[in-house]
Amino acid sequence: MMKVKRFSQRCSAVCLTILAVLSLTSCGKERRANLLTQDDRVQRTVNLFSPMEKTDPNAENTARSAADLTVAMAEEKLGVTVAYRTYTAEDYQDKSYDDVVLDRARSNMDDLYLLNSDVILKLGAEGKLVDLSGIDNAENLRDIIWTANTVDGKLVAIPQEVVAYGLFVNKDMFDQYGLALPETPEEFLECCRVFRENGIETPIGANRWWLETFVLALAYADLYNGGNTEAEIAALNSGEARYSDYMRPGFAFLKNLMDRGYIDAEKASVSEAIEAEGADFLAQKTPIVMAYWGAANTETAYGKTDFEMQVIGFPSSRGQMPVITMTGLAVGAEAEHREDALQVLNVMLSDEALQVYSEINRVISPSKNVKVDCVPALKPLNDRIEEGVYVLGSNAGMKVEQWGSTCLIVRELLAGAAVEECMAAFDRLQDEALAK
Amino acid sequence: MNEKPYKKDNRKGLLLSIVLVFCILGTFVYTISRKISQEMSDAAIQSLSESLDLIECTIEAILRSEVEFQTLIAQKIAQTEDPEAYIQAYEKNQTMSRISLILSGKTSGVSNTGEHFTAEDLDFSAGGTIMGLPVSQSYINHMGTWSYTVKCPIMRNGQEIGTLYAEYIYDAIDKSLPEGFYNQQATLYIMDTESERFVLKPEGMGMRSAGHLNLTDFYRANSIQDPNIHAEVEECLENGQDILFYHDIRGVKALNYMWAVNDGTIFLAGYVPLEAIQREGRIVTYNIIAVVASMLVAFLLCIYLYYRNWRQQDKLREEQELERKIHSQQLSEALRAAQIASESKTTFLSNMSHDIRTPMNAVLGFTTLLARDADNPAKVREYTKKITSSGQHLLSLINDILDVSKIESGKVVLNLEKFSLNDVVASVDAIIQPMAKAKRQSFHLEVNGVRHEYLLGDETRINQILINLLSNAVKYTPEEGHIWFRIIGLKQRSSQYERIRIEVEDDGYGMTPEYLETIFDAFTRAENSTTNKVQGTGLGMAITKSIVELMGGTIEVRSEVNQGSLFLVELELRILEEHADRKFWENRGIRRVLAIIGDQECRENVRALVTGGGLEADMAASLEEALDLLAGSRDFQLVLLDWEAFSGVQAASAIRAATPAPILLLAEYDAEGTEAVLETGRTGVLAKPFFLSAFRQKVEELWSGGEPEPLQDTSLEGLRFLAAEDNDINAEILAELLSMEGADCEIVENGRLAVERFQQSAEGEFDAILMDVQMPVMNGHDAARAIRALPRDDAGSIPIIAMTANAFTEDEKASLDAGMSAHVAKPLDLGLLKKVIRQCRKDAL
Repeated sequence: MMKVKRFSQRCSAVCLTILAVLSLTSCGKERRANLLTQDDRVQRTVNLFSPMEKTDPNAENTARSAADLTVAMAEEKLGVTVAYRTYTAEDYQDKSYDDVVLDRARSNMDDLYLLNSDVILKLGAEGKLVDLSGIDNAENLRDIIWTANTVDGKLVAIPQEVVAYGLFVNKDMFDQYGLALPETPEEFLECCRVFRENGIETPIGANRWWLETFVLALAYADLYNGGNTEAEIAALNSGEARYSDYMRPGFAFLKNLMDRGYIDAEKASVSEAIEAEGADFLAQKTPIVMAYWGAANTETAYGKTDFEMQVIGFPSSRGQMPVITMTGLAVGAEAEHREDALQVLNVMLSDEALQVYSEINRVISPSKNVKVDCVPALKPLNDRIEEGVYVLGSNAGMKVEQWGSTCLIVRELLAGAAVEECMAAFDRLQDEALAK
Repeated sequence: MNEKPYKKDNRKGLLLSIVLVFCILGTFVYTISRKISQEMSDAAIQSLSESLDLIECTIEAILRSEVEFQTLIAQKIAQTEDPEAYIQAYEKNQTMSRISLILSGKTSGVSNTGEHFTAEDLDFSAGGTIMGLPVSQSYINHMGTWSYTVKCPIMRNGQEIGTLYAEYIYDAIDKSLPEGFYNQQATLYIMDTESERFVLKPEGMGMRSAGHLNLTDFYRANSIQDPNIHAEVEECLENGQDILFYHDIRGVKALNYMWAVNDGTIFLAGYVPLEAIQREGRIVTYNIIAVVASMLVAFLLCIYLYYRNWRQQDKLREEQELERKIHSQQLSEALRAAQIASESKTTFLSNMSHDIRTPMNAVLGFTTLLARDADNPAKVREYTKKITSSGQHLLSLINDILDVSKIESGKVVLNLEKFSLNDVVASVDAIIQPMAKAKRQSFHLEVNGVRHEYLLGDETRINQILINLLSNAVKYTPEEGHIWFRIIGLKQRSSQYERIRIEVEDDGYGMTPEYLETIFDAFTRAENSTTNKVQGTGLGMAITKSIVELMGGTIEVRSEVNQGSLFLVELELRILEEHADRKFWENRGIRRVLAIIGDQECRENVRALVTGGGLEADMAASLEEALDLLAGSRDFQLVLLDWEAFSGVQAASAIRAATPAPILLLAEYDAEGTEAVLETGRTGVLAKPFFLSAFRQKVEELWSGGEPEPLQDTSLEGLRFLAAEDNDINAEILAELLSMEGADCEIVENGRLAVERFQQSAEGEFDAILMDVQMPVMNGHDAARAIRALPRDDAGSIPIIAMTANAFTEDEKASLDAGMSAHVAKPLDLGLLKKVIRQCRKDAL
């Protein structure tokens, strides 16, 4: 009883003291003539042009994206403000993001840009992008990054993630028909045949965007893995070698698949990615689809299946072949805040930032020092990449843009063009490039 | 009795008052808050309107200045000879991203960017104008940014020679707008009205979740799905009117707006969380809440303190009531105790009256008989004997009563002095043995395990305890019964204290359990047909218990009717350093002693005692063993022989034959037949049980030839006393008694006369002065002081003996302090008086 009594006495004393202090402090502030608070910090701003708006840092109920977090790290470390400028096309009649970003970069509208591979190539070739090989964290980058983003000897863009494409296969269905996962085009055709014989009319689910991965895997398996990459690219850039010669087997293979009905060309030509083929794949009606790495981590894509899914490389003469592409962050060569933009980029590409990015998105990091465990389904694909076996879907070092161009020409194939017509289109592109 | 309900009502009233005050305060605060909230809402709307007006005006000013500038250029072009060349030479600037010219009659023209220009892609259909000049719909220009074009006719001499197209980018407007407003919490887009596209997000005014694409996107992202709102917004867009409406954005109350700029060709679209507008209002609200909370806390604190104070007072009142209750209970208990005590004392007085009257009756009766039979010497002797007996009984009664009275009033003080347990045992034995013998009872004395003989204590009081217990035992044990008196040394709790247990056991009448409960209470006495012959005050046990407790000891009793009683007294007495006088033994050449004792326990006691005295001891359990030891090589200077165990004479003779060493017979107090052995010489008797002092004394006697100190002459023959006694009878008795002893006595009536008489006397005329204490004129103490102060040689040395009815220790002390030599209590015991006089005279010599 005594303790309680003493405690309550103390509490009363403390309460009274707090009240007294509060009432006293309310009258004791020093007055200054200038009523404005002087903030002598110079506001440094870096303009980032990307398809996304910035997440409000004060918004408590909104999770910030991985890229936002790395931007926030840069803002905090450097004391700069990164202002996001965005453009989103409302519909097909609108200018595309790539069109707009090209115009903006050419007009020096912004400092930092998020660019697709074909834009990187274009702007790099025009000398509109800064050589990033000098930033501190460039030394942590994997070789693949250097290869894919070097234009005229300059590292013009660096991605925050490496996007790998692969075949998403229903392992249960392969097992059901006693099929091994295919390594070569022939094995792949055999698998398709067996599926067809077993009543699966269209073993491959496709859309109008990603069929090019089959072509690129077959086209460049030897170029990127034959030990003579630079010379072969140089030959292509000089015109000694023809892109059509590389592309032909891939287009012929695709044509074969379409002719045999393993791919529904008509359906594919009007289908958006995942939207069309995804449902059949998840319903186990289609044993094979193609998609990017992140689709295996995302529940809205193929992150949750009722069967054992595996992601493997595309069939090629060198076995299963991942196709890698990437968007990149680049700094305008004549940007108003060029130095600040370079510093911001350096922080965004630091191992610390990339670790955060990769952990959130569960993707392959461009840094050699950042490793993130992948889901089991991705292991076959990841193992190949770790072995250094892959082809690049886009390469800024090639004068003919690959990713966008191939996609468009594959659509022509889907529309009924002959293989040689498609090859002629490549020859045309090469000639135009050589003519510049 | 009515106090509690009253208190409850009072508390209820207080509680209701508090609740009422709270309600009033709450209502007041609520009303104020509502009012403030309403005012704040109005203020928010006004504030936002003003902010948007400001932005609107800014944008409109920019648009106007752009168009004014464009008009000036058009005028300038009109004056130039080659308008197209002028355009081509016009440098690109921040205001205009492109300037183009199409001459009248042509469908295409030139731009300052060097490109071929057609107006095909420009849409002026919406009919928007700035200062009367048509403005196109917004579009993404060649720089990849949202822009608009204003066309202006080029007039020369009243004729239109062409049209000037100037393209402006929205980013230019951004540069003139503030970097966010309402602490960057506001969202603002510039919307092209016709296409409902968001064409500019000024810096610091938008965020991902806001819906940045177009109005539909904005509605979707912010969950603005109310068709009424949509309709109203559409209507305002059509009419170029402003609209402001409340709608929660992600759970936060916000003011949404569509603010027409330039007559509605573009709109400001967005929202501001109300909190952001009412930031200061929120602070005010918080402060009001803080003030209210502080007041509430203070109010509650006051109530709490008041309540606590109330509780404390209540508690105090309760405690006081309780105390009062306890007090009155104690008083009533005390009263009851007093009544009981009074009853008890009344009973006691009644008993005493009877007890005193009985011997008094005897005294008076026998004196009557004495007067009648004065001539018959035999009867006179018998009567006087009975009168003496009755008188002694009366005296013991009075002594006990006085003792009880003193103990009860706490006046008993222990007189701690060194004493010998041996003396205590000896004196008790000397008193009790004859009493027991008179009743043909056997009295056994045992002393076991006592380590120290000399102790510090009140010997008189210890004697009193022992005699009380033992005399009771004798009293309440029938003839031929047995009494055991044991002194047992217990395990010491402290090395400085001897712990002893005194046991007095008998096989007498015993006591009933009821009586046992009250045995130690004063004024009670066992009354039954068997014991009512026994005379006593009934105070003995109460006195005994009081004394024991005064000494820090305990007393308990176990008894059964017709089985006997056992009294156990435990005492702790401080040990006094015993001066182990080794030289005593060395001087007499004694080193080794042979003890021949049958009983094992007794043997061990004797061994401990003898070795404790600094001697070596050999023990023999039988005569044969003793003779063997004597025949051996060891030389014994003294032999102790247990008289009762070895049937005396023969054993003593055998030992005497074996050794010339003196023999001490260890015998009971009343042992018979020892005389024959004593005659053999160098032999003595040591009463069992014995202490070291007794042992030493006996050895000293043996070594000094066995002659006991001759008794000194105690006769008072020829002595002359001066006696101060105011009571004639006492004076006469004294004179008679002394004259019977052959002494002469001169009586004076008070202390002064005594002093004067002594002053006048010749030196040596008186051998001693006997002084009563309580006397008129001058009391005994003053007289003694006066005598001692007299300037005579014998004034300091003449024995002055106090003779007084004041018989207590402090009385004796007062007498001695006054300079008297000794103190004798009345009634006079002639033997004691003689002893004291002899001692005093001896000391004086």
